[in-house]
Parts: sequence; C-alpha cells; structure tokens
Amino acid sequence: MMSASAASPSAVLPGVARKVGSLRKERRWALITAYVSLVVAAIVMLAPPFYMLITSLKTSAEISNPVGTPWIVRNPTLENYWALISDPMFRGFFFNSIKITAAVVCVTMVISVLAAFSLARMKFFGSGLLATGVFLTYLVPDTLLFIPLYQIVGGLGLLNSIWGLVLVYPTLTVPFCTWIMIGYFASIPKELDEAALIDGANWMQMLTKIFIPVALPGIIAATIFAFTVSWAAFVYPTAFITRPDEMPLTIGVVSQLIRGDTFAWGQLMAGALLAALPPVIVYAFLMDYYIAGLTAGATKG
Amino acid sequence: MAGNRLSRRTMLRSGAGVVAAGTLGAPMVHAQGTGGSLRFAFWDHWVPGGNDALKKLAADWGEKNRVNVSLDFINTTGNQLQLTAAAQAQSGNGHDGISLTPWDVGAYADRLEPVDDVIQRLEAKYGQINPVAKFLAVHGGKWRGIPATSGTQNKPACVRFDLMQEHAGIDVRAMWPASGERGPGADTWTWDTFLKAAEACQKAGFPFGLPMGQFSDAVDWVGALFLSYGAQITNAKGEPTIKGNEKLKQAIDYGVRLSKFLPNDVWAWDDASNNRALISGKSALVFNPPSAWAVAKRDNIAVAEKCWTVPMPAGPAGRFLAYLPFTTGIWSFGKNKAAAKAMLEFFSQRESAEFTTNTSGGYDIPPFATMSDFKIWETQNPPVGTIANYPLKPHHQAKTSIAFDPAPPELASQMYIQALNTKVIARVAQGGETIDQAMGWLEREINNMRRG
Amino acid sequence: MALDATTITETGRPAAPATGGMTLQRFARRRSTIAFLMALPLIAVIAGLVAWPAGYAIYLSTLNRRMTSFIGLGNFEILLDSETFRMVIWQSCIFAITAVVLKALLGFWLAHMLHHIPTKGQRVWRGMLLLPWVVPPALSTLGWWWMFDPSYSSLNWLLTAMGGPSIPWLGEPGWARASVIIVNVWAGTPFFMIMYLAALKSVPDQLYEAAAIDGATGWQGLRFVTLPMMRNIISITVLFSLIVTFANYDIVRVLTNGGPRDLTHVFASYAFQVGVLSGNIPRGAAVSLFMFPLLATVAFFMLRGVNQRNREMA
Repeated sequence: MMSASAASPSAVLPGVARKVGSLRKERRWALITAYVSLVVAAIVMLAPPFYMLITSLKTSAEISNPVGTPWIVRNPTLENYWALISDPMFRGFFFNSIKITAAVVCVTMVISVLAAFSLARMKFFGSGLLATGVFLTYLVPDTLLFIPLYQIVGGLGLLNSIWGLVLVYPTLTVPFCTWIMIGYFASIPKELDEAALIDGANWMQMLTKIFIPVALPGIIAATIFAFTVSWAAFVYPTAFITRPDEMPLTIGVVSQLIRGDTFAWGQLMAGALLAALPPVIVYAFLMDYYIAGLTAGATKG
Repeated sequence: MAGNRLSRRTMLRSGAGVVAAGTLGAPMVHAQGTGGSLRFAFWDHWVPGGNDALKKLAADWGEKNRVNVSLDFINTTGNQLQLTAAAQAQSGNGHDGISLTPWDVGAYADRLEPVDDVIQRLEAKYGQINPVAKFLAVHGGKWRGIPATSGTQNKPACVRFDLMQEHAGIDVRAMWPASGERGPGADTWTWDTFLKAAEACQKAGFPFGLPMGQFSDAVDWVGALFLSYGAQITNAKGEPTIKGNEKLKQAIDYGVRLSKFLPNDVWAWDDASNNRALISGKSALVFNPPSAWAVAKRDNIAVAEKCWTVPMPAGPAGRFLAYLPFTTGIWSFGKNKAAAKAMLEFFSQRESAEFTTNTSGGYDIPPFATMSDFKIWETQNPPVGTIANYPLKPHHQAKTSIAFDPAPPELASQMYIQALNTKVIARVAQGGETIDQAMGWLEREINNMRRG
Repeated sequence: MALDATTITETGRPAAPATGGMTLQRFARRRSTIAFLMALPLIAVIAGLVAWPAGYAIYLSTLNRRMTSFIGLGNFEILLDSETFRMVIWQSCIFAITAVVLKALLGFWLAHMLHHIPTKGQRVWRGMLLLPWVVPPALSTLGWWWMFDPSYSSLNWLLTAMGGPSIPWLGEPGWARASVIIVNVWAGTPFFMIMYLAALKSVPDQLYEAAAIDGATGWQGLRFVTLPMMRNIISITVLFSLIVTFANYDIVRVLTNGGPRDLTHVFASYAFQVGVLSGNIPRGAAVSLFMFPLLATVAFFMLRGVNQRNREMA
C-alpha cells in the first residue's frame, strides 16, 4: 500500500476535480493491494497448521509414500487421534498440563492482583522501585535462569515433579500479569476509592468490591495470558522433567512422540494439534480480551 | 536375595514360559512383598512394542521372587535418559537402577554398585562379554554395570540390494549370504569399494543415506570409519593425538570425499532421517539397526523386500562395526541392591535375552558373542535372511567399536554429545577449511573441553 | 505498562501527605504496611525466583566443571577462546536482529493493510493472521520441521512443482539459519501486527485529513503523521521483541538442535547443550550470562524511552 500510493502518479497532478477522482482511484488501488497482501499473508500464516492437520489425518503408509502431492489427504483416517486419546501416557500429559496450568494461573492471579493493587493505589517505601523491578523482571528471559534454577529445583528435590514447574512458572507469568493489572487499576478513577474510603470500607473491601469488578476485563486478559504462557512453557519442562509421567503436553509431545529412530509423523502432528487446541479455543472465544491484554501496555502509554 | 538365585532349570522354565506367553504384562507387579520393591528406569525402546519384553520379564521375575517391580521407560530423544541419570547421580536418589548410555557408566562409576559377582557367573556360563561393552563398564578394576541386551544395537549397512546391483554392480546378497559364510567378493568390501558404489548410486539418483549430523547414528558410524583407518583422536588419558596424525588425516579425507556423494543436507540429519530416506525409496544404503527395515515393512513393503543387511566395509586397520551398547547400572544409594542384581542377572540369561531380541524384532544385541545365533535373525523376512548379518558373526572378521575409543569417559561423553568427529569432516566438506585447519580446530575444541 | 507503574507511584506520592493530619498519618503508616504485605508475594517471586537465581548463575559460572573449586573468570575466558562460542555470539546477534527487523517490517505492513480494509471485515482477518502467535511455538515448529524434512519436504514439493530447485532447508548452514529465522518471523509477526494495529487506530483521522488537505501524498502521510505518532510503540515493541528473540530456545531446539556444525546455535540452545547435556553446569551458566549485557542495554533504553514519554505527557 505504501509503495502503491507512493508510486501513484495521480497525486502530483494539479487540479481539484482530478485530484478527487485520483483520490478515489488511489483508495481503490489501496484496497486491492490490501486484500491481495492479506490473502498472501493468510496463506503463509495458515499453511503450517493446515499441513499439520493434513498429515495428522494420513496413515503411516500414505505419509511414507513420496509419490504425488503431500498437500492433500487421499484416505483420511482418525487413527492417529484415536491412538493418542486411548494412550494413557498422552492423557497423562494432558492432565499434567491442566494441573500445572490451573495451579499456576491461581497463584499468579492472587499474587499479581494483590501486588498491582498495592503498587497502583497504595504505596510504601520502595514501591516505585518495585514497579520498575517488575518491569525489569519481565525482561529477564527464562533461558537465562534455567541453569541456576535447575540447581535450585534439584536441591529442593523437585526435579521430575510437576510441583517443581508450578514453583518456577510464576517467573514467566507474574511480572506481565502484574504489569497489566497495574494499568487497569490505574485507569480506575480516584474518586471511586475516595468515596469508598469515606463510606468506611477497608482496603481489602475496596479491592474486592470495587477494583476487581471494575477491572474484570483486565483480570480476564491477565488470566488468559497466564494460561497461555504456562500451557506453552517449554524451556523449564525440557530442563526439569525427564520422566514421562510428570511431563506436561508441550514437552511430552516433543520428546515422547519423536522416537529417536522410527516415529509416526501422523501421530506427532495429531499430538501437536491436540496440545495446541486449548489455547486456540480460548483464543477463538476470547480474542478481544486476548488482544486487549496484549496491547494494554503499549496503547495505554 | 543373592541366595535367591534361580537354578538353571527354573531359568529354562521361566524363559520358555516367557516366550510362550509373549504378549505384554503389566509393568507393575504386586506380589506379597517379602522381597521388597524395585524401581528401574530403562531405555524407552524405539521399536514399537520393544518395551514389552522387559515388562514381561520383570513381571515374571517379580512374581517368582515376591518383589514389587516397577519399570519406567525413558527416551533418549533430547537426551532425557542421560539427564535423568545425571540428576539421580547428583541428588543420590531416584531409581534402584537405570539404563546408561555408553560413556555414562564411566561418568558415574563412583556412584554405581560393583557387579563383579554377577558378571563372573554370567561369563562362566556364556563366555566373554563383548570387549567394547567391557571397556565401557569396567572402571577401577570393577564392573560398574551389567551390559544390557535391550536397546543395544549394531549399525551395519542396510542395503537396497536391487539398487546396489543395478547401479554399482555389487551383489551384496552373494557377497554376504545369510548362510553364515563369506561369499565371493567379501574381501573387496572395503571403504574404497564403498566410495565407488556411493558415487554410482548417487549418479543414479539413489544416494547413500549416511547422516553427518550430531545424533548417535552419525557419530557411531563415523566413529567406526575412523577406527577402521586406525585414527584415534585422543589417547587413554584424554590428551589429543591430532598433530601430525596421518591416519586421522586419511580418515577425515575419506569422509570428505564420501560426503560429496551424499545428499547435501546430511549435515543436519537426525537418527530418523536415514530411516526416512530408506523408507521413501530414495536411498540405496543406510547404516542402521533393523528398525529402518521394520518400519519399511510396515509402511512401504516394496522397499523392505529389497533390503539386505551386510557388515560395514573394512579399512586399512580392519573392519569395525558401529556398536551402541547400553549398560544397566545399579545405584550404590539404592535400597534393594541384592534384588536388583538378581533381576538383572535373570535378564541376562540366554532365554531372557532371546525373548528380548525376539520382541524387538531382532533389534537388540546381547553382549555375549555366544548369543549371536538366535533364530530370529535367520528367519526375519521379507526377504528371508535380510538381517542374518546384523549381529556380529565370526566370518565378518570384524570388531565392534565405539566412537572416541579410548578416551576417558568424561571427555568422551562430551565429544560424543558435541559430535566432534562428524563436525571435523563437515568443517572441511561443507565449511571449506583445509584438513589441517579442521584438525587444528578439533584439537583446540578438545583442549577447551578439558580445561576448567 | 512499566510506564503506568512509574507514573502512578510518582503521581500518587504527593496525594497522601496532602491530606495531612495526625490520624491520617497513622492511617498512611498502616496503609503502607498493608500495601507492603500485599506486594510481599510479588517481592518473594522476584527475589527468590529471579534475583537469587541470577546471582547464583554468576556464582556458578565461577566454578570448575565438577563444581569443586573456584576458577574466577576462567569459564568466560575459555568460552571466548573457543571458535564455536564466538560463532554462537555472532549467530545470536544475526538471528535476533534479522528476525526482529523482518517482523517489524512485515508486522507494520500487515497492520497497515488491515487498517485499510472496512472495519467489519477486520476481525476475521485479524483472527486468521494471529493464529501462528497463539499456537505454542514448540508445537508449530514441529509442523515446520516436517515441512523441511529432507526426504519428504512439502515445501520442496511446491518448489519443484513450480520448477524451482529443492532446497536443503536444514542441512546447509545458510539455509538452516534462514529456516530458523523464517519460523521465528512466522510466529512473531502477528504480535507486531496487532500492536501496530492498535497504535494505528489511536492516530486521529483528523490528522490524515489535515495532511491530505495540505496536499500530502500517502507516503508523506505515512512519513510525517503515522510514523511520528507510532514512534514510541515501534521502539518499545522492537526492543521487547529483541529480548525475546535473542533469548529464543524452542525453535532452535526442535528445528536444528544447533546443527549443522553448531552454526544455528543461539545462546540459549548452546547453554543447554554445554550446561545440561554435556554436564558442565558452570560453563553453561557462563554462556547464558553472555546474554546479560544486551539485556541490560535494551532495558536501559526501554526505561529511558518510557520515562521520556512520561515527561512529555506530563
């Protein structure tokens, strides 16, 4: 679009009438460029998931046959999905992911709502520093911390345990969720809490009766974020979990369905799609919250 | 529990029962516990159903000896098994015993229970244990683990005999028949012949599928290639023996020349890529255990029918066969070490080993040369005898080998994981360095590993 | 958002003393105690799970392989001596910079395109284009890995069908690096797109109309209206993504494992290989600490940008 309009010669032509006409033409071209770009982008963006779906519906024999296009499925079968769903190990991954995610989301939300309220509305010695600290913490990647955490988690005897993951995942979720919540709480007008204070409400009541209900969209956005991050976490489980019965889905699919030397691509793709399903479903239904949470930091500034 | 040792006769009976029963047993056996409980971590077998053998054996043994046995199977994908062993060795708690990859026995020798008594009895019965397995398991004069059958594999050549005949003019079935003798031309099966065949097949559009990346298939076959040129990278103390090492230079040079006739992306192949190359029908030869053939049999029978396993080619220093042995170690911090030993001894009996090998479709290689005559290797088909030459047999006139032999285990395991032997070839063939530059890099890399 | 945090605490500060009075003072004291208690779990997380491990990493990096003796900066020295590691530094930078620039450009372009179509159609397109960002990257990378497979590559099938050559995606260093970048760009572009779209929507239409009346071309509108209005969000998004991309692990782990010849390793994957897989924890810790200078620089610029903006807006 930028290049199209920049190249359009009409813009430099003099004459008001012509200019209006050329503007309309320019708009039409812009629209066409926009749709063409979006179609191309959508094809590129959706091709890998589509190909994963296609592969997951094929039999091993069809996958192994290099003749013909790999992009269509000739004899669709659900056997890969059935094999996974009926496999207690795979169901175990699912339950582990659910347990870990539920625990982490609860812990995260309690920590960050309390902290955000305290940082946005109350204050104490060093609270400004702490707010900056939250921001900086969010910038520290998990790949910097996993080696010392490996030693620490090992020292606590929590290697190969989902509770070890529940312990360390908050490093991924708490800073950003606190960050989102501070923004939402800060946008609530001061008059509201002054009124509440005059009515004799204490701080806890103010939080539960006023702030949480008013900032509910923010809480949903933060919850979705915490959910997505703990569902997709990869570095920590790769480093801390090696026993199949304690693995969450992401690492379970990557490490257990990839057999070193002989493995079933159909099942692998089916497993990856099944594992990706919960975030996609949440996203499909709550897309607006999702995006609101994502952009909250940026647009508020 | 040591006194609980099973007599030869009960052993035979249970072995026979095992073979007859066949199918999988529950991994957990609740017997009236007088013998306590045992928990083992074994390598998660790549052959579908391959774990069932150990499950069944453990169940039978546990029932007979009133021990609650539970087994975990841990994959080597992403080095999980190695990581589990490392974590348990460090924390001093975990399973009673665990499958160890080749060099890990030495790395954790001081935390492993000596098993010399078991080995003595086994060797008295079945003869010497494979020398490579022994080299890896014996530290400080003591056996620190029992060489395992399950998971232990050779990596001979799995050849598409039709393509080899058509394009390279070599009849591998005549050269290495299933009958256990050398056929005509077996003496010419050298790396030089191999190179010519590789070129011919590549020209015909069926390049050999030899991985050159960082996974064990690649490291193992290149390790065997180096040894067959007499090329050692370090001595037994771990000091690099690279400068002016003409044999090493020759081996690297050969690897570089050979790689010209391989697919251009072998540098990134993993353990499965060579299998896929074979199964897709695009490749005339891979170095692999029979799993590649077995999956072809399932998914692309037309390819499987044309496969024939033959020994690796010979070099100036002899014929070496890439060998990846697993060793089962018993942690010295375990609570039930006597029972653990007794169970592993039972697993090592000929009947148990044969059952294990049968369950894996002939994939598993027992550590005793006297057990290279299991029927399954003769009978597997199509075509009948296709993996007859998979175990090392006397007429191959070959030795098993492990990459980076004879380095000390701690260094060797790092070199193995970092795949220094394939990388040194890749630096020349793909990176455009001279052999001397690449060897200089190799020496510096090893010195860096030894520092600190 | 840090912006909000700092704004609030700074603007909030004068509010309490202003009320004055004895009881209020006591109240404020009580209030700050409660506030501190409420923030305590957060402090525990930051101190116990981030600050302490980070410090511990520094300590670890000064030990020898067996963690039995102190070797000072020995690990850093050995690493800098190693050609492989010098390549890893170089590769990490190339990877992060190329990927972030591509993501920013493509994201900007797509956001622009989305902004130009009628509002009611935007939702569907946005939904489709965001999908790569929603799927956990380790899993979508599996799909890419399968598309790059040497024997069965569906991408090569498309290329050969169109008369092109088949490409050794993961086998040849140049292509392998490109593949890692492609997957990262694929997964990360939607994030940029959505951030820029939000920013574009916040630019008032009157500004464009005014510019059009002044005779500005589309390009000039972009150059003199859009870009200045979006400057902050562009810089924040880019800086933030730079960190995330620089620290990326899952794509390299699944796609190439660092190969061929370690030429696609980035800091994180190399730290994993050296520290955890080869069992040299201290050296692995040293590798990951090399990420620190870059992180500190980026954090400095982000904080500065954020504070600057605060002052501008105040």
